[in-house]
Amino acid sequence: MDRRTVIKNLALVIGGAALLPSCLHETGKASIALKKINVSADQEKFLADVAETIIPKTTTPGAKDLSLHLFVLKMVDDCFSKNDQDAFMSGLDKLKADAETRFGKSFGEASQAQRESLLNELEKKQAENQKAQGKNAKKPADADDRLTFYGITKGETIYGYTNSKYFMTKEIVYELVPGRYNPDYPAKNFKATLKHGLS
Amino acid sequence: MAYLNTDSAKQNTFDAIIIGSGMSGGWAAKEFTEKGLNTLMLERGRDVKHLKDYPTTNMYPWEFEHRGEVPYDIQQANPVISRCYAYREDAMHFFVKDTEHPYVQDKPFDWIRGYQVGGKSLMWARQTQRWSEYDFEGPARDGFAVDWPIRYKDLAPWYSYVEKFAGISGNKDGLDNLPDGEFLPAFPLNSVERHFSKVVSGNYTGRNVISARCAHLSVPQPIHTEQGRVMCQKRILCQRGCPFGGYFSANSTVIPWALKTGKLTLRPHSVVQEVIFDDKKGKATGVRIMDTETKQVMEYYAKVIFVNAAAINTNLVLLNSKSQRFPNGLGNDSGVLGKYVAFHNYSARISAEYDGDMDLMTDGRNPAGGGYIPRFRNVKKQETNFLRGYAAGFSASRWAHSDESGVGKSLKDNLSNPSLTNWKVGSHMMGETIPKKSNTVTLDPNQKDAWGVPLLKFNISYDDNDAKMKQDYFEQMTEMFTKAGFKNIQTYDSKQAPGLDIHEMGGVRMGNDPKTSMLNKWNQMHACNNVFVTDGACMTSTSTQNPSLTYMALTARAVDYAVSEMKKGNIT
Repeated sequence: MDRRTVIKNLALVIGGAALLPSCLHETGKASIALKKINVSADQEKFLADVAETIIPKTTTPGAKDLSLHLFVLKMVDDCFSKNDQDAFMSGLDKLKADAETRFGKSFGEASQAQRESLLNELEKKQAENQKAQGKNAKKPADADDRLTFYGITKGETIYGYTNSKYFMTKEIVYELVPGRYNPDYPAKNFKATLKHGLS
Repeated sequence: MAYLNTDSAKQNTFDAIIIGSGMSGGWAAKEFTEKGLNTLMLERGRDVKHLKDYPTTNMYPWEFEHRGEVPYDIQQANPVISRCYAYREDAMHFFVKDTEHPYVQDKPFDWIRGYQVGGKSLMWARQTQRWSEYDFEGPARDGFAVDWPIRYKDLAPWYSYVEKFAGISGNKDGLDNLPDGEFLPAFPLNSVERHFSKVVSGNYTGRNVISARCAHLSVPQPIHTEQGRVMCQKRILCQRGCPFGGYFSANSTVIPWALKTGKLTLRPHSVVQEVIFDDKKGKATGVRIMDTETKQVMEYYAKVIFVNAAAINTNLVLLNSKSQRFPNGLGNDSGVLGKYVAFHNYSARISAEYDGDMDLMTDGRNPAGGGYIPRFRNVKKQETNFLRGYAAGFSASRWAHSDESGVGKSLKDNLSNPSLTNWKVGSHMMGETIPKKSNTVTLDPNQKDAWGVPLLKFNISYDDNDAKMKQDYFEQMTEMFTKAGFKNIQTYDSKQAPGLDIHEMGGVRMGNDPKTSMLNKWNQMHACNNVFVTDGACMTSTSTQNPSLTYMALTARAVDYAVSEMKKGNIT
């Protein structure tokens, strides 16, 4: 290997390293720049584990592969009120602590089944609250930050997933330019349309 | 004028000045320049060039930072524009933020604006219907506003003229309450829309559900190819600006056409403060503008001036054009300037479900949006406890629905394997409102904007007639939906403020009598014959049709008249 190639390769390695966000951000801080919410690396990791529990890696990419937790943070930072942001952060901390108490280890270290059972409990509670809310249209008395955190995280994780490039090119294909309108199309072809472009 | 030397005065002199570059201003530019007139088009906002200035047009959903959502702080700071259905991350750069251009609301009015070359013609909903004789005769028959100085026959050839150039898709339905035009093939109704159409026309006389008529090139003609536009690709991302020129906008169609003549000077960043009326000469001589970038105040001169600033801003420009002869605003001998402002009532919707035709769905997207129900109330005679009536949209679609409950692999699988819903149907009301003297825009006596122009004050509201009409819409649509076998019928009253319909009209109305109107039958000011108004401000009444096509036709007709008057020496 001549000297020139060595330098070139070295430059590539250095260049590559510089692109890794973990080398850039302040230790203990979230890996993306946020304007309003203050998120630690630890909290970010917990959120990533929650998102991965919601959309796990299977034979296809999961939440971490698609950085959906970072999308959730971005949306919470930009698209929610201060009240929601506060509840999100406080709910995050409470749920993180709940998991540690219950599992004797961090949420991320628990099994997928354990993690799912914790989130499913929240989902059940959320459904009950929504039902009660529907009846008297009032906020339930036992408004729990954990539910706000979970509601936002689940909603935005799904939104981020179904609007990801992966999902919109490989799962349910989005067409930018359909070029057609067929008013009478056989409904039995529905599944096929998902792959060639649902409009 | 003292500070201008003769050379620069000459440089600033044109045959025609057009204030505004949107739907109607764009047409005025095309017509004037084609007839060989040296034309200056002033636009208060920035330039938006076709293709080049559509930054989001080819973006995929995942390429938007917030996947389409408008950030919270922007929504909080700009509540009015945030209520507009099209104000989303993909097109928000084409809308005026409340904070950028404030106005005074004595009563709530959602003023939706697009300050750029092309104006709102970039983001409009592209629905295009002709008025009928029943619409023009409305005020005279029912005793409100003043009689329209024109009838359908006056405008019919001009409808044809603009339709051929713009490209309008539709069927020849043969309805006297919604005259046919020069149509490109319609976008067809789907099976449930056809089912509803059959039920409605089978059960009622004079009620029809037709393919919505819209300004899309379903099959382009040579004239459209010459404009550089190609077939609509059914993207339904029109509000971003179309890379195919598939729908009509001033940017894609009439402005490039006018520029091609070499006769058009397009001047963006030019806020018109007033039309200059020369008391000695007894006519308008030009306009005074402020350049929004340099803050320099400048004057431009022309023999004829078209005010096409969009309905409300046209009122503003004229109210602010004061002279010895016209102390209350240019041409305002009658005192009606800024009064009798009206709009369309879009505050009612209805939805339902249908379990028939389950073997069918649609594929691709329908740019027309579905069906259209022309006005059927009080068309030939008064038959209800309210005046006039409403048109309505109607559409049916099936959705892909995923079960989003639970977490983990099952959720992931569910998201990738949606099921097809039954048919969801919906309709929205487009009601005629009655122009009233009390519905006004006026100049705020104290506050001015950053360009030296007084802020506008809105005093516009619904009335009892609107409430009765809305009730009737709910009742009639519920009855028709029930006859069609639709279930789970839900009515929805949005209680939205006037303005969100984005069909504000009037304030500078046409009429036969100079004592009660501003403009004659040629859209020419009664009291100042070289000033014309052909945007929404000129409308004597609103009827129920989406108004843009009528503005286009009125504009082409008015320019034709103005130029013939200039040739005769009647406008100098």
